[in-house]
Amino acid sequence: MKSINPKYTARLAGTSRLFSATVLGGLLLAACSQQDSSNTVDPGPRTYTTAQAETGAELYAANCATCHGAELQGTPLGPLLSGEDFLSRWGTQTPAALISNIQTNMPPGGNENLEQADYVNITAHILATNGMIPGQVALTADSAIEIAAYVARTGAAPARQRSEPEAPQGLVIEGTVDDYVPLTDAMLEDPDPADWPMIRRDYYAHSYSPLDQINTGNVEDLRLEWVWSMKDGDSEPAPIVYNGVIYLINPSNIVQALDAATGELIWEHHSGPANRQDMRNIAIYNDKVIQATTDSRLIALDARTGERVWQTVVADVSQGFVNSSGPIVADGKIIQGQAGCARYIEANCYLTAHDANTGERLWEFNTIAQSDNPDGDTWGGLEDIFRAGGETWITGSYDPELKLTYWGTAQQKPWAPPSRHLTINDVGLFTNATIAIDVDTGELDWHFQHVPAEALDLDEVFERVLVDRGDQKLVLSIGKHGILWKNDRETGEFLGYTETVFQNAFTDIDAETGLVTYREDIQNAQLDQWIPVCPSSTGGKDWHSMTYHEPTGTLIAPLSQTCLENNAREVALVEGGGGLASSRRFFEMPGSDGNMGKLGAYNVDTLEEVWKFEQRASYHTGTVSTAGNLVFAGDLDRYFRAHDVENGDVLWEVRLGTSVQGHPIVFAVDGKQYIGVTTALGGSSPRTVPRVIAPEIQHPDNGNALYVFSLPDQD
Amino acid sequence: MKLPTRFPSLTALCLLASAAVIAAASAQSGMYRARLSEVPVTPQTYRTITGVGEVFATLDDSTLSLTGTYQGMSSAASAAHVHNAPRAMNGPPIGALEVTPAPSGELSGSLELTAAQVEALRNEALYIVIHSENNPGGEIRGWLLPRE
Repeated sequence: MKSINPKYTARLAGTSRLFSATVLGGLLLAACSQQDSSNTVDPGPRTYTTAQAETGAELYAANCATCHGAELQGTPLGPLLSGEDFLSRWGTQTPAALISNIQTNMPPGGNENLEQADYVNITAHILATNGMIPGQVALTADSAIEIAAYVARTGAAPARQRSEPEAPQGLVIEGTVDDYVPLTDAMLEDPDPADWPMIRRDYYAHSYSPLDQINTGNVEDLRLEWVWSMKDGDSEPAPIVYNGVIYLINPSNIVQALDAATGELIWEHHSGPANRQDMRNIAIYNDKVIQATTDSRLIALDARTGERVWQTVVADVSQGFVNSSGPIVADGKIIQGQAGCARYIEANCYLTAHDANTGERLWEFNTIAQSDNPDGDTWGGLEDIFRAGGETWITGSYDPELKLTYWGTAQQKPWAPPSRHLTINDVGLFTNATIAIDVDTGELDWHFQHVPAEALDLDEVFERVLVDRGDQKLVLSIGKHGILWKNDRETGEFLGYTETVFQNAFTDIDAETGLVTYREDIQNAQLDQWIPVCPSSTGGKDWHSMTYHEPTGTLIAPLSQTCLENNAREVALVEGGGGLASSRRFFEMPGSDGNMGKLGAYNVDTLEEVWKFEQRASYHTGTVSTAGNLVFAGDLDRYFRAHDVENGDVLWEVRLGTSVQGHPIVFAVDGKQYIGVTTALGGSSPRTVPRVIAPEIQHPDNGNALYVFSLPDQD
Repeated sequence: MKLPTRFPSLTALCLLASAAVIAAASAQSGMYRARLSEVPVTPQTYRTITGVGEVFATLDDSTLSLTGTYQGMSSAASAAHVHNAPRAMNGPPIGALEVTPAPSGELSGSLELTAAQVEALRNEALYIVIHSENNPGGEIRGWLLPRE
């Protein structure tokens, strides 16, 4: 007889005590019924066997623990796989879906040594660790039970994560923002120079402050004014500043209001779920702070008091939908992008607009052209349920004059054409494109697909920077390919491009149309074939916003220089399946001399590179520029620096507590200028790739915080 | 007797010929450098595929001479080769180099390149791979690029 691992025996004992009477009663009745009719032994719940979990534990340790932690607690390389985070994502789904997801996507470096039975056993270990009760019937790859129905929620799993008290909900710290003045549309269209009232400060996504008190002549005197520790977890925050108050999004969906001059906490609201997932930004409009939660809700808080005013569900988190960036408020409408659209399910991938006063949904735009859409024939005849991807996971921008909002869309899913049963000719509208949407109707005004039929996890989803040059109204963007695209934002017409880092995905980019031609081996790539490409999935450029410095007509972008090899995995066309489905391995970009980080400055008229600044450490903040002719950026190696916007020279630097990550802000209170920046952990490719290529760059694995700097007061 | 002025003098012809030879030699010479770093890694392998290095190469006519150093590999170097493929791509070996049988050490060697291989060098399509006992498929590599 096979011995039982005491770890699982103990968990079973603990779990049994806590298992609900209803479930136990049901099992007993089922057992009695079986005995009455057939006189056979009760096989227990049809979950998994202890032997499977034991075998799975060994496989997990060898193949998964490096990234997800020996106790499934998560590490900087991979998310945790236990507790409420896991159950909120997978509780309503089946082991079959979980096994399929893991087999399709994990481990990221390749799975040639793992059979399906190994994935089943690894899943048994994960389910056991999360408190699922074992039985006598083995887990199989087609197990259709609901995971949560067999999990004791208060059992062993949460206790394994960390010994934290139950997370509070609602208004945790009460306070009032004095003399609050509602923020109007006009104030958002032309922000007060002292404010930073939205992600990237203005509708045009310039990340530029007109303040010049701190400038090239005195920036060397900057010193710390105050620092505020933030909640642990993955974090890429974009604080906003309005009328002397900083509104700060923390991990665990916590929003805080802080006195911007002193760092004093005014109020704090917890919307939950209390997890370690990332949320980049919030918005503010009239008297409300608008928060998108990681479980796909929209919530309005009273900007004065932090009290919740309304909430609405954007999408079903149990279907895999999440939010990772917050909204923009345009023309009185909250516009929110959606992420987590990689699964084969009936629900679609939407950009939605909501009434700012009530949360009522006003319109939605499906980023995936369905078969009944005029552009629906771009998906190779795939049934609608198998058309996946097209996430709008980075907040868009807005032209109040044209009444158009501009968003980037992510690529088709799975990542490689053979995995999604398509060819390189199935371009898949409206993925990997710039889409211009009428804010009144939600209808598509125009689109420009930068990389049709994207094949290597290089999406073109990031911020759209709106620039006026003479009579030209431009929209500029850089995606993971590192190509700076210039389009007319009234028509979408292609106007030009430049390559900001080395790329070898395309052998040609048509100078007249912008049409790209993939390298031949990429065009013909098959399943289970390693395809090298530069840049890697961390870009080129990633979520870290670039800045437009209007006085010099220069875009300054935080760029990254690494490469990858991609190996497409097979994905079955079955409902509930899908995923990303590639193995990847990463390497330094040849020609970069080992410098992952690059700040590149580009003239928006000529697209020529004006200057560059390269370094070993990758950049983990957006860039911001000021009328003081400064550019600020922070990196993995804990440095936060001010550069001369004319030539990139370093004029000031400070080393902070951990990696500098997020979106810096520039603001003023009572006539005094400040610079704020966050330190933070977490993130996917932009964090994982430098971690494996430059492991010598070390930083503490905690230390999320907001730092604020200023010049010494003059006597 | 003076040659007609519309014909170049012998001296001038000699000078022209010399210039052509020098130009040809110049076209077949150059200095290159490669930074060696880890072959593609994953979260599962980056601790066992390690090391950096630097290689300098000089092309003289069709002879490519290489010297370099490397440090921090996971195990002793077992071989080193020059391969032919564009930047970031994988290609076949075209010649072997001498390498210290240790995790850190030196490499050197000299290769006679074909005209196509000289062209590949000019097009940044030659790279160096150091293999090791733990990673016989290659542990560190780097492309030869013109020295600035």
